[in-house]
Amino acid sequence: MEIIYKLDLAIGVVSLAALIFLVGWGTPLIIAPLDDYETLDGNVLFSIENADGLLIDDNIDFTTPVEYVVEDGLSISLEPGKYYWKAVGIFGSEVRTLTIKSKVSLELQKVDEGYDVVNSGNVRLNVDVYNGSKLVGVRSLDVGESLDVEGTKFVGGAE
Amino acid sequence: MIFVMGLFLISSVCALGITPARTTVDFKPGLNKEVSFEVLNSGNKDMNLVLAVQGELAQYISVSAASDSVSSSEVSKSFSYSVNLPDSLEPGLHTGEIFVMELPSSAGADGTQVLATLAVVTQLYVYVPYPGKFASSKMIVYNANQGEDVTFVFPVVSRGEFDLTSVKANVDIYNKLNEKVASFNTNEIAVPSGEKKEIVYKWKADVPIGNYRAAASLIYDEGTINLEETFSIGSKELELQEISVGGFSLGEIAKLEMLVENKWSELISGAYVETKIMNDRGDIVSSFESASYDVEPLSKQVFVSYWDTAGVRVGTYETEVSIKYGDASSVKNLKFQVEKNDLTIVGLGYVISADDDGESNTLVIVLVVVVVLLVLVNLLWFFLLRKKLK
Repeated sequence: MEIIYKLDLAIGVVSLAALIFLVGWGTPLIIAPLDDYETLDGNVLFSIENADGLLIDDNIDFTTPVEYVVEDGLSISLEPGKYYWKAVGIFGSEVRTLTIKSKVSLELQKVDEGYDVVNSGNVRLNVDVYNGSKLVGVRSLDVGESLDVEGTKFVGGAE
Repeated sequence: MIFVMGLFLISSVCALGITPARTTVDFKPGLNKEVSFEVLNSGNKDMNLVLAVQGELAQYISVSAASDSVSSSEVSKSFSYSVNLPDSLEPGLHTGEIFVMELPSSAGADGTQVLATLAVVTQLYVYVPYPGKFASSKMIVYNANQGEDVTFVFPVVSRGEFDLTSVKANVDIYNKLNEKVASFNTNEIAVPSGEKKEIVYKWKADVPIGNYRAAASLIYDEGTINLEETFSIGSKELELQEISVGGFSLGEIAKLEMLVENKWSELISGAYVETKIMNDRGDIVSSFESASYDVEPLSKQVFVSYWDTAGVRVGTYETEVSIKYGDASSVKNLKFQVEKNDLTIVGLGYVISADDDGESNTLVIVLVVVVVLLVLVNLLWFFLLRKKLK
């Protein structure tokens, strides 16, 4: 009788261990980026194993996710904002968040009679152009766009 | 003060940044909050900075320092401002702006190039809830091809004091002649106060290719929001179908006939094909364009290009064929296999990408087999072998 109980226990333990191992084996392994990752760089490198797809959404319910095929060195370009992401394979992974921080940045260079103002940040800008203390114009600048303009002061803020 | 500072001139190229561009806060009576931000020394130089506040919330904001300096070795420097909100504000959006301006480090009397002043702004947005229930929303439509699903998304923000218990949308679709071609109701959702949720609806586009207009009424507990958006079924796209080459002889001028299909429901005019042939280092060894053609809606047109193959060697060349029309272009990467009397084009009509689902399928099979084995071993033991041993 004792042998039977020992065999009961052995089969139960082995079965449970095998199931735990299988679930672990089939669950995507997320290496990078870490949860709550924050960066100014819009290009995010993902490192994931045991997964077929990567879902990214700005909504935790994943109602309108963008799906990417997982591959080595998967780098995704994202606009500033907070994102929820998870890997999907045989099983789904945990949901992680990442934030691309918004950045206002201006570069200025003298060109002929005026100035070349470049939006070197990652958000669309409104640039107030002053000549002395007088506001002479407000211009919109896309990311990477430059503006050839005359003025003595340029103030850039998010649109 | 900002205006006075604007009169200063500084030397050398300017570069200045700030992050975040905006901080958003939900209003609470008497809220005290410290908000941090970073000034980015994008030009990697010594800078003297002045910080100032303006906007309707200026009286409730104070910055940690009115002026400071950043050395060339500092990539960024952290600052903060404190927000002390009053007990009440009008419902809606209230804004404040924190300016950071670079001051001149020297007068620039050495004759160097003189530049103007730069300033960057980090914004503070404070949302004050509306009394009762209040929703704000927009409609986003994702285009699709004919017969596929067009996705309608309504991000709904509950900006009132109370939760929205029922939010749904009724949508009518109109064609170019303003005839209603379809209508549907979305599912219903609840949105807690201060939160954002999405209504998503997939509509099967069993309608002809073309432009459409969606008119939606977003209905929530105590109000309605009318929204309108245009979208397309099919895409304004020219697709390269095939390339035929007659009587190819290396060293002579080859005539390439490229069959192009217009998948759009309107005429696409002024389209042409640009072909770039590259060597194994990726350098362009030959480039040529076709004449311009007008392609009738939903029809095909042959574009003729001529390639002078003088000096071209036998071999395989990576080739980029771009159909250009208006501001758009459609690109295909092909291989030109050039022989003395033959030109073979590889890549059109072939599936080049490999099937990469194999590993995943193997995992599933292994998992299923192991689980089935475990179940069998358990059944065998508990219902057969165990009883026999007893």
